[in-house]
Amino acid sequence: MYLEFKHVMPSPLSDYPHDASSVWKAGFKLEFPKKVILNASSGKGKSTFVSTVYGLRRDYSGSIELDGDPIEDFTLDEWIELRRLRISAVFQDLQLFPELTVWDNLCLKNELTQHKKEEEMESFLEKLGIGDKKNQLCKNLSLGQQQRVAIIRSLLQPFELLLMDEPFSHLDEENAKIALELINQETDVNGGGYILTSLGSYHGFEYDYELKL
Amino acid sequence: MLKKILFRERTNVQFIFATAGALIGLTALLLSLQLILDVQSFHSNEEELFGPNSVVIQKKVTKLTTIGINSTEFMPEDLKRLREKEFITDVAPFASADFKVGISEVEGDGLPHFYADMFFQSIPNRFMDIDVDWNWNEQSEFIPIVLPRDFIMIINYGFAQSQGMNQISEDLLMAARLTIHINGNGQKTQMIGRVVGFSQKISSILVPESFLTYSNALYGNGNIQNPSRVFITTKDDSYGELEELMEEMNLDISKSAIDVAKIKTIIAVVIGIFGIASILIMLLSLLGFVQYSQLVLSKASYEIKTLLRIGYSIRQIVNTFIRQLSFTFGIITVSAVVIMLIVKYLMVNPWLEKNGINIEGSSLLIAIVTAVLCFVLFIFANYVNVKKTVRSQGNA
Repeated sequence: MYLEFKHVMPSPLSDYPHDASSVWKAGFKLEFPKKVILNASSGKGKSTFVSTVYGLRRDYSGSIELDGDPIEDFTLDEWIELRRLRISAVFQDLQLFPELTVWDNLCLKNELTQHKKEEEMESFLEKLGIGDKKNQLCKNLSLGQQQRVAIIRSLLQPFELLLMDEPFSHLDEENAKIALELINQETDVNGGGYILTSLGSYHGFEYDYELKL
Repeated sequence: MLKKILFRERTNVQFIFATAGALIGLTALLLSLQLILDVQSFHSNEEELFGPNSVVIQKKVTKLTTIGINSTEFMPEDLKRLREKEFITDVAPFASADFKVGISEVEGDGLPHFYADMFFQSIPNRFMDIDVDWNWNEQSEFIPIVLPRDFIMIINYGFAQSQGMNQISEDLLMAARLTIHINGNGQKTQMIGRVVGFSQKISSILVPESFLTYSNALYGNGNIQNPSRVFITTKDDSYGELEELMEEMNLDISKSAIDVAKIKTIIAVVIGIFGIASILIMLLSLLGFVQYSQLVLSKASYEIKTLLRIGYSIRQIVNTFIRQLSFTFGIITVSAVVIMLIVKYLMVNPWLEKNGINIEGSSLLIAIVTAVLCFVLFIFANYVNVKKTVRSQGNA
């Protein structure tokens, strides 16, 4: 899969001055699988970037192409299929179902995709240190715990591109590393790549490419 | 799991109102429809013989008639007036036999010995909706006869008792042959007749038109008479006009015939109003349900958006809604049919029977098809609405 930005400028950001190297100005073309970091300070449009690529926002000028097709032309049904089979995401606001348990949140996704076995899902929870939270309602978890649930959920589907919007913002260094390990492992299993946005912490991770905003 | 997320707050006032409205509306609709069908399908014995909405009219006999100043004959201009009335669809004067008639038993057929003077009349065949062959020709085995029901009553409860004769049942009378004595134009003859039916409406002895034409030509005395009775067919629900006309032309009519028509008309009007009201209730409750699902959808707006974001298709979400609504409305539909049947069989039918209207196994098919159609309409309307709303949530 390849992703190309052609003169893309989100309307809320059009009045800001942007560096010459910013993706909003320079554009880019990336071929996945690749592990990409998008590093920028607050307010530069990281979340805008993620939701634009995920098809949730259309308030931009220019064109974004996925495998040569402009995503502006995708219908809602086409987006839904993409989100089930090719692109996954961890949202900054997580988008979990607070009234469901951790396990139900995960099953809701896995029932749709049939991607992982129950034991694998359980081992993911264990690995990220929230195995004991399995039957708790999501709304009763701390933000850091919820973040890990959202990360696991994003891995319960096949993907060529995983978009992650500050997925470790509420995790300590140690837990962030463990989560990143799991993400790397699953990305390789899927033969996919990801774009990870971050406020500047690298969590010691070796990326293939860096995008700037 | 989807159901759990989308229907978090299921029961609320809106839902209860919509459900109650739909149940009441649908029940009322089915009930009124079924009752209208029942009443329309109701046939008295008369109608089996002569078709619906037909009555015999005659002029009232007054003192003036008796002393010969006034006549009960229908003059050609009277008939013309009747034909001009818009609510009368058919007019047929009775033809009378122009010869003397008597009947007696055929020996060995089970009837006691008797002899009675008689008369014959006929009405056109199109009024005779009767199972047996009403056509007569010279080769026919017997002359079919329709007697007034009162006739057998008079024999059994009056004549037979006073004469020490055995009573006879309708079946026996219909099974036995009768000897018909004809005397006119200087000739006498005997023929065989058979009773094929009884009539409450027409107090006359009816024979086929073809027989009367034939025998009048042969045995008639040559008196040409104007008819004194006329058979008319009216449009549905026009008993009011008929009563007016009777008043106007000083007519006499069999009361029972008009009473049934009257009951049918009144019931049809009342139920019709009820039915229209129930259609309105149905439509309102449909709106209520559409609103209810709108409410559920907007309450679940975050859930719907998120489901679409993690890859659930619009169809899966819409289907979850429709399954749930189908279940709810399915229960409503079945309940409405059951309540309708209970009211019909335990309350309305006994009441109708008490009032002399016997409903014989009228079909429930139309009411049930209507219930199914309402169900389909309801699901379709909600489907369109839910799909539109979910899609707009996805695009938001």
